[in-house]
Amino acid sequence: MVFYENDREKYDAISKDLFRLVQKDEEIHDVEFKTKPIGFFMDVWLRFVKNKASVVAAAIILIIAFFAVFGPGMNEYRYDEQHTARINMPPKIPFIAKLGIGVFDGGFTLENRKYDNLNDTDRYPEGSVLGILNPRLVSGERIVDVEVDYYKYMGMDDDECFWFGSDYLGRDIWTRMWRGARVSLIIAIVSVCCNVVIGVIYGSISGYYGGKVDMVMMRITEIINAFPRIVIVTLFIMVAGTGMFSIIMSLVIKDWVNTARMVRSQFYRFKGREYVLAARTLGVKDMALIFRHILPNSIGPIITSSMIAIPSAIFAESFLAYIGLGLQAPEPSIGVMLSQGQKVLLHYPTQVVFPAVVISLLMISFNLFGNGLRDAFDPTLRGAE
Amino acid sequence: MFRYILNRIVAMVITLFIIVSIAFMVVRLMPGSVYEMGGDLSQTVIDALNAKYHFDEPIIKQYGYFLQNIFLHWDWGTSAKMRPNVPVFEILKDRIPITLQINLISLFAALPVGMAAGILAAIRKNTIVDHLVSLMVVLFISIPSFVFAAGLQYFLGFKSGAFPIIYNVSAKGLLRWQSMFMPILALSFDPIARVARYLRAELAETMNSEFMLLAKTKGLTYAQSTIRHGLRNSMVPLMNIIIPMFANVLGGSLVVESIFSVPGMGGLMVDSINASDHMLTVAILMFYSLISLITVLIVDISYGIVDPRVRMGGEK
Repeated sequence: MVFYENDREKYDAISKDLFRLVQKDEEIHDVEFKTKPIGFFMDVWLRFVKNKASVVAAAIILIIAFFAVFGPGMNEYRYDEQHTARINMPPKIPFIAKLGIGVFDGGFTLENRKYDNLNDTDRYPEGSVLGILNPRLVSGERIVDVEVDYYKYMGMDDDECFWFGSDYLGRDIWTRMWRGARVSLIIAIVSVCCNVVIGVIYGSISGYYGGKVDMVMMRITEIINAFPRIVIVTLFIMVAGTGMFSIIMSLVIKDWVNTARMVRSQFYRFKGREYVLAARTLGVKDMALIFRHILPNSIGPIITSSMIAIPSAIFAESFLAYIGLGLQAPEPSIGVMLSQGQKVLLHYPTQVVFPAVVISLLMISFNLFGNGLRDAFDPTLRGAE
Repeated sequence: MFRYILNRIVAMVITLFIIVSIAFMVVRLMPGSVYEMGGDLSQTVIDALNAKYHFDEPIIKQYGYFLQNIFLHWDWGTSAKMRPNVPVFEILKDRIPITLQINLISLFAALPVGMAAGILAAIRKNTIVDHLVSLMVVLFISIPSFVFAAGLQYFLGFKSGAFPIIYNVSAKGLLRWQSMFMPILALSFDPIARVARYLRAELAETMNSEFMLLAKTKGLTYAQSTIRHGLRNSMVPLMNIIIPMFANVLGGSLVVESIFSVPGMGGLMVDSINASDHMLTVAILMFYSLISLITVLIVDISYGIVDPRVRMGGEK
């Protein structure tokens, strides 16, 4: 294999007269680069879009974020508006109901009804019966399960419908769910941002100065880290009361430690490099060294780790709702809706299905997105943890 | 080595003491008294109860009594709302074994499954098997355990009727295991995925190392070299991720237990918070702190055994 041509002889053959010295102010005919140089973020972007799974995940996050912003305003219901005569309605979306594929058509199965009553239009209004299942004889009576269009069965107008159904107080699940997604996302993103701000400042000071400062600061994080997360979050909410702010703070109170440690280890990696020494020799101040020269190196790991922290914050919020320390009613969040739906799961499973699907999609997407970002920022870590 | 272990244990006890103190202060400084007016208790009874449990004395003195009772009599206080007048420790005593049983079983049941999946993915790297395992890992890690629990309860419990919808307290023998199956399954998804992901990465790296090449050059078959040399080397660090995972599973079991009405610590914690039975809450939080501190301690000690640099306090 030839790696380079030895063309010394070729040049030796050229007579010396043809050569002359180029002066500094003359135009130099050099080979120009055909391609444009690409920056750090362009490089990351190119690697990121190659990973199809994380692009899809990013798209799903954007779609959910879109609905979280605009979803609650899409129909006429408000999140705290109760319709006590319309409780536990099944989901119905008019144009899907017209297709007749058996979903979102307001269908609901009433069990153990007398067959003879089916023609009674007082009980079953015109057109409300969709199907008859499981006919049987019980002590001489013909008993059936009736699948009805619950909206017609309740005698409601055709244009009145709950897209995703209504809950035990007759509140619209569509509106509540997207408002809940909004609340969950806000809690997750704000808490992660606070973590990053505190963690970066703390970690960079600790990592940059090292020595005694570092030792004391790391001891503090060790103590905080020793407290179990469940315990600290529960205690904090018990003191501060339930509410969005105290939930955010309870997530920040422990989780910033991870960011701080990560930033510190990045500082330890970079602070001994020659370019830092060069900058310091030129008289650059500590603050500028920290934030302009060393910190930008860790931008990749910081973004990645905060993306991976978002699903765990969403999970923590739902977890708090389940143990009864969630947001105050009537404010919904995904966790609040799940824990309320859990109580009526066996009768009205749709009340759990929608929030469960949204939270699962969010968690999966953020995890995939985080993985994609990690691979894009640091290709050497691909597949590792 | 002995000094290192002693060091860690002392640190753990101090941390536990700090947590106990914080929890006590938090609970006592909350507004409202333990025995509320307006119920079926008269003022005289409330005064008598307050005097009996020292609620009418300054907070520092109460704290002194609290510590004294714990250290001298192992008395964690008395439940005020959930089961009035029953010592907290009595309530916990029946609950702790059930929670530990469910959590430990789900963790150890997850191990072989996760390991099998991880090994399979590593030796069939970049094939359809590997991709399927990766998909499974993402799904199992992302989807919260309470969503799994709700799904299992609806489909396996309610629709097919194969398993009881909620935990059966009175059942014995096989029926009891049957009613424990769904909570255990719901909790084991996460450890399965974590073990599989970890072992896949670890084994794939080991398979590329030089000594594996040497083993093959010596004439070992693929199976021999993988099992004897590859697998054995990637198993070493596995223990250190399994033990901390226990604290993780325990957190998930808080919710899963209350979904399946398991009479364990999880349901008790939810109930005690909702009923604001604070002494009980403090004791439960202590239980969780103790468990997670013990897991940290075990990890620290095992690191100390494996890696002498840790216990000698050398540079990291």
